[in-house]
Formats: sequence, structure tokens, C-alpha cells
Amino acid sequence: MNPFRAAIAVARKDLVSEWRTREMVPALAQFVVLALLIGNFGFQIDSRNAPSIAPGILWLALVFAGLIAFGRTFAAEREQSSLEAMLMTPASPVAIFAGKAIAASVLLILCEVVLLPALSLFFGTPFSGDLVIAVLLATIGMASLGCLFAAIVARVRARELLLPLLTLPLWIPFIVAGGQAVQSAMGLPGSYDQAIGLLIDFDILFVVLTSLAARFVLDE
Amino acid sequence: MNRLEKASVGAVALMLLAGAAIFFYAPTDFLQGPVQRIFYLHVSSAIAAYGCFAVVLLGGAIFLRTENYAADRWARAGALVGVVFTTVTLVMGMLWAKKVWGAFWVWDARLTSTLVLWIIYAGYLLVRRLSEPGRQAARLAAVVGIFGFVDVPVVHFSVTWWVTHHPGPVIINDALPAQMLATFLFTMFCTIVLAAVMITIRYRIETLMDMKQLIAGPVHVVITREPGGVAGPVQ
Repeated sequence: MNPFRAAIAVARKDLVSEWRTREMVPALAQFVVLALLIGNFGFQIDSRNAPSIAPGILWLALVFAGLIAFGRTFAAEREQSSLEAMLMTPASPVAIFAGKAIAASVLLILCEVVLLPALSLFFGTPFSGDLVIAVLLATIGMASLGCLFAAIVARVRARELLLPLLTLPLWIPFIVAGGQAVQSAMGLPGSYDQAIGLLIDFDILFVVLTSLAARFVLDE
Repeated sequence: MNRLEKASVGAVALMLLAGAAIFFYAPTDFLQGPVQRIFYLHVSSAIAAYGCFAVVLLGGAIFLRTENYAADRWARAGALVGVVFTTVTLVMGMLWAKKVWGAFWVWDARLTSTLVLWIIYAGYLLVRRLSEPGRQAARLAAVVGIFGFVDVPVVHFSVTWWVTHHPGPVIINDALPAQMLATFLFTMFCTIVLAAVMITIRYRIETLMDMKQLIAGPVHVVITREPGGVAGPVQ
């Protein structure tokens, strides 16, 4: 069985089920707008300090939206015990994992489609292609790690508690490099190209590592 | 006294000797004064912690390949002792930093990556606590341990862009006077012995806990169909 087709099929299944229920994306979109609201009242934001505060709010909103999105990826499978059924098909666990990661990152990207323009709208920070590229590159690595650890905690009690504890420290490299890239895309000092290069390196490293580990996490 | 008790007494005696060397043999630092004596135990426990997490990495990797539960118990023991030594490193470092840099904490590469190290392995211990003991928990924890080990150099590398406050390795570039170097090497040796003894004791405890789990825990019984097949607990 072609692993790529299997992965696409799993991703399609997840996205179709999201399309039919329309639960996650509206909730995530509302969540990030609320995060911006809190950011606005938590800081005293005006046109001068917006570029130095907005990147932080962006990453906080994105990270916590990501935790919600990835925490839900295996929730439906667990509630209906359908993961076992999927693992019994000839599709390899790595392909199933990749499919779930692709679907979760599409959901997160949809949430970024709301977040990035809303950030520029509310805080007046520049909206540029550089910004979009930086956030998308970080999303790839964060999705692969987030999905792996969502699969791990799906088997554990108190999973809502444990997912952030395990995932956030592993996301820090992406937040460091992505934070730098977003800051320079918003006109703060720092090398954008170096940060993007680092993001690409981290993406490659963690996509390879999570694919290797997926076999041990999903395999029964 | 059994062997573990003898080893503990030996390790404690060695640590007391190291303490004596730190306070009475090593010279006082010209610039920093007595607070520099934190250095010996601070760096030694950091090295011991890395050693412990290497045990977690190796134990996890061996478990994933061979399903040998002894490897998993070594990993569990290493994680617990490693978190203890990382805590010692962080607390001593903060005290030293307050005196020398004027703040308990700066977001420097080495401090950030050590904090991340602590959080990841504290998370590892939580995974162990919150999951049902057995094969699944061991496999999941092994993956967490391996990712934790990979993540720390990555965090370190990604933060090194910013100005680093933390001094570089002083041993390699010959910056230590001979008496300080001797004290440091001796303290490092004693700390590593202490860590090894602690891991061994913890390994023994984990073994006993696994046995208790097998005898009294929620036992899943496998009934075999062969004549005389023994119904026994499985993990």
C-alpha cells in the first residue's frame, strides 16, 4: 500500500469529518481573537510599542491554539476506538501518523488565516509574505511534534494536563527561531534569513525524528 | 550492611571529602571571593545530570529495540536522579548568579536549555506516574526521553544567537589554577559516584515495585489452552 496515498486518505478523512461537524476551526478562530483581546488589555499597546509586543502575543495565541488543535487530533479516535481499526489496515503506522499530522496542521493553518490578519488589523503591525512564511515553517515542525505527543498522551490519564507539559518545551526551538523571524518581519532588528534557515533545519530534524518515533507510539 | 548500604556510606563519605576539599583546599577566587566555591558542585552536578539523562536515553533506546524491562527500569531510575541533579545545578547556579550577575536568572542559552532539560524530564516522570505501568508506558516514556535528549542541544543552539552571559568551558582553555582544577576533578568524580549509587538504589526500588505490581497489581491473566499451561500475570 502506497504510504503517501494512505497518509492523504487519513488526512482527508479527518478534514471531511471536521467539515461535517465544523467544530474545531470556528472554536480555534474565536480562541485566537480572544487571545488578541486579552493581549490588548494586558499590555498598553499603542502604535509605537505594537511591533515589539505583537510577536509575543502572536506566538502565545498560536502555541495555545496548537495545543487545543493537537489535543483533539486523537480525541475522536479514542472516543470511538477507531484508532485500533485504522492500525489493523495494511497502512503503516507512520502513514497514519503523517495523515493525522497533515490534517491537524491544516486546521492550525486555517486558524492562522484568522490570526495573522486580525493581528495586523488590531495592532497595526505590518502584514507581509515574510511573516506568513515564518509562521508556516514553524507550523510544520510544531505539527509533527504536537501530533506525536498527542498520540502519546492519548494513552495516558490526565492527558489535558500532560500535553502542554511535554509539548511546550519541545516547541521552544521553533518559538525561538520563529519569534526571531516574526520580529524581523515586523521591522525589529535581527537577521530574518538566519532565522528562516534555522526554522527549516528544525523542521527537517523533527519531521524525520517524529516519523521514526511514530512507529513506537502508534504500534500496538 | 548489604552492598547498597555500603555503597551509600562510601558515596556520602566521598561527598564529605569533596566538601572539605572545596572549603579548605581550594584557594579563594581573587575576583569573586568565596561565592566562587559554588562552581565545583554546580558544574559537577550538571555533568552528573547529563550522565543520568544519557542513562535514560540508552535505557529507552534499548527498551524500544529489545523490550527488556531492566533497561526501562534503568531509564526510570536515571530520570529521577537526573532531575534531582538538575535541580541542584539550577538552584546553585541561581544563587551564584545573584551574587555575580546581580540577578537570579538571565535568559542565556545555557540557563534556558538547562531549564528545558529539567521541564522535559520532570514531564517524563509525570508520564510514568500518569500512565498504567507496563509495556505501553515504557514505550511512550522511552520516546519522551529520547526527544528530550535531542531537544536540549537544539534549544541551546537556537538561543546562542543572543549574547551569552554564562562563562564558557574553563577546564579546556586552562583558565583554572592547579589546586582549583584538582578540587574540581575530585568533586566531579565524587558527584558521579554519588549519582551512580543513587541510580543503582533507585533501580533496586523500581525492580521491587515492578515485582509488587506483578504480585498484587491489577493482574491481567492469560489462560493458555495447552494442558498444564500456567495462568500467569502479564505486563
